[in-house]
Amino acid sequence: MSEFNELIKSFSKSREYVRDFFVYGFKTRDDFTCWSSRTYDTERRRLESWLPEYVNQDYTEKGKNIYLAIDSNLLSTNPLYRVWKAKSFTDNDIKLHFYILDYLEANEPQTSEEITDGLLDSYNVIFDAQMVRRKCNEYADEGLLLKTKQGKKILYGVDDINHQALKEHQELYDALKLFQLNCPFGIIGNTLMDNLSIENDIFSIKHNFFVHTLEDEVLYKILDGIKAKREVTLEIKSTKTDNISTLTCVPLSIIISTRTGRRFLCCYDNKIKHFRTPRLDTIKSVSLGELCESYDQLKSEELASRDYLWGVSFLAKNDAPTSTVKLTLNINEQTEGFILNRLEREGKSGVITKIADNTFTYEIKVLDANEMVPWIRTFIGRIIDIETNNEIIKHKFKRDLRAMYKMYLNE
Amino acid sequence: MAELFSEIYNCYFQVVKTLIESNRAISLSEAEHRIKSMGFEESVFYLLPKLAGDEWGFFETRDNKLISRLSPDFFTPFSNLQRAYIKSILLDEKMKLFLTEKEISHIEALLEDVEPLYNPDYFYYTDRFCDGDDFSSPNYRRIFQSLLASIKEQRYVEISYASPNGSPTTHRCIPCRLEYSVKNDRFRLLAVDKTKRGTFRLLQLNLERISDITLTEYLQKKKINLSHIIKRSYYKKPVKLIIKNERNALERAMLQFANYEKHTRKIGDNTYECLIYYNKSVETELLIEVLSFGPMIQVVGNEEFLNQLKERLKCQILLDEKTKS
Repeated sequence: MSEFNELIKSFSKSREYVRDFFVYGFKTRDDFTCWSSRTYDTERRRLESWLPEYVNQDYTEKGKNIYLAIDSNLLSTNPLYRVWKAKSFTDNDIKLHFYILDYLEANEPQTSEEITDGLLDSYNVIFDAQMVRRKCNEYADEGLLLKTKQGKKILYGVDDINHQALKEHQELYDALKLFQLNCPFGIIGNTLMDNLSIENDIFSIKHNFFVHTLEDEVLYKILDGIKAKREVTLEIKSTKTDNISTLTCVPLSIIISTRTGRRFLCCYDNKIKHFRTPRLDTIKSVSLGELCESYDQLKSEELASRDYLWGVSFLAKNDAPTSTVKLTLNINEQTEGFILNRLEREGKSGVITKIADNTFTYEIKVLDANEMVPWIRTFIGRIIDIETNNEIIKHKFKRDLRAMYKMYLNE
Repeated sequence: MAELFSEIYNCYFQVVKTLIESNRAISLSEAEHRIKSMGFEESVFYLLPKLAGDEWGFFETRDNKLISRLSPDFFTPFSNLQRAYIKSILLDEKMKLFLTEKEISHIEALLEDVEPLYNPDYFYYTDRFCDGDDFSSPNYRRIFQSLLASIKEQRYVEISYASPNGSPTTHRCIPCRLEYSVKNDRFRLLAVDKTKRGTFRLLQLNLERISDITLTEYLQKKKINLSHIIKRSYYKKPVKLIIKNERNALERAMLQFANYEKHTRKIGDNTYECLIYYNKSVETELLIEVLSFGPMIQVVGNEEFLNQLKERLKCQILLDEKTKS
């Protein structure tokens, strides 16, 4: 049996485990059907090792059950960033990292052979010259080293001036404390904070979903497609059946719901000639494809359709282009101005009209009225009428309301 | 293509870097403490022998102390990914709260050859409220900057504030944290003021309603534990939800309530109990979120929360009856 290691080679398997533990707060061995129980034990132990301060346990009939208790509003950083900091490495990786950087920070740019000799002279450590060259090239690709040509020689050095100049902007440090919490790829902001040895003692975040960081590897590759205006081929795992399918599409934007905590890729599927929005957490891999000649045209169409997009659903191409939804609401103008504010603030392009004292209508055209139902439910207690050309949603709303009357009022 | 999941960001590397930066001999017990605080739970078993032994050779061990063989000026240069990230966040309108236009231009010039990692336009927040704060307002920036300074020093401030009903009030308080809401696109100040009994009480103020701020000469010396004060503000009885896992309700609820401290457990076949801890400031928001699920989740406690929900349903029944008649 191999020895337990808290570091990991690949992010993807742990991503699934951490996501499930984090989102649900709990998972028992029986709940994970995809992997063996030994894998479950290893992943659980890793989770306990990465996030010890958030892991709690209770005992059920089936035995010990661990769960994560995280109050994201109170935290100064995203605890899931720790998973990104668990990449395994070899002894040579860490030795070359510190020795090469330390050596070049004190010396002029040099060839890899000169660096190899320099490491021996300065630190009394012997490395194979090829290994040093490989690491130097790797670090040049990562941007940690500058690679320049001098005649036939290839020199490697550290860009000290640029680094120091950036470090002088102390105001940027405070900005990093916020952006590492709030913006896409916060993990990179967090590694910058590590680099600068600073901690966030100023900001906290609300309505953010820490679990998004687990999708950043996938997102990173998708954004490459968006930037290059190229197609991407995605491997998507169905949340219902666990089946894997592939989708080749033109990536256009990332749609984020601050309410449901889901992120979606908005893309154009050339096969069906329509927009699609797979969830980012269902995308398992991304590969870049051909340049898309009609990218700008598709982007314009996507932007135009946002006027009618309630959530993320574009509906099937052959469906009716829009549904009309009209709510009539009972709102006390004197005491419930905040409800009118809510309608204005949350109601997108909907039009609010006063039709009588304390009675208002809210009317909107949307691509998929079905997506509005959860929002409409939040006005329960004030809804006089719902008018829509989409009878299904009206029926669904009334059915759910009857179920709630029965559930809470026994009526 | 640079790797996001790379050992150069590994926390072991980070521990070693900070030990080197210390510029002094470090006792083994201090090294152990640092590894425990910066590394993972089991890192110390692997890392300490490597640092104290000869294998890596970054330190000499003398009298049970680690003495660095590398320069204390050691630094890890920024990676391409990190530079691209900085270039991206410079494009965010909130950056103007921290840096002047001139400073932003200067950093952009330093990163002239770097392509941003992303453009904020790539992201579309489908349900973000449309009345977010005006981050470009000079007065807003002035207040934001004053709050940043006072938070760092735990300095008492006097704040002129327009309460939700419009009447002006003044608060004398210690700013502790700035909370940004992604949904509201707004900042809120989390501060504390002293009660007559001398205890600290949580105060939450929308930045946009702050019209003026004066920094006083008084500093709070003892560190304020804001998280403790926030937790103390939670109702003793959490909201108790019963979730039947139909139509993927469990996953949806767990994700949507991820912002709250919660504890979920399985109580039967396909049935789960979820306890959510909250305080008065988020009570209405939580009620709205629960309502949005309709009958997919059932509130069974606490009594006060349940009554509020029932009240809304009773109002709806009255409206249904009026409409019928």
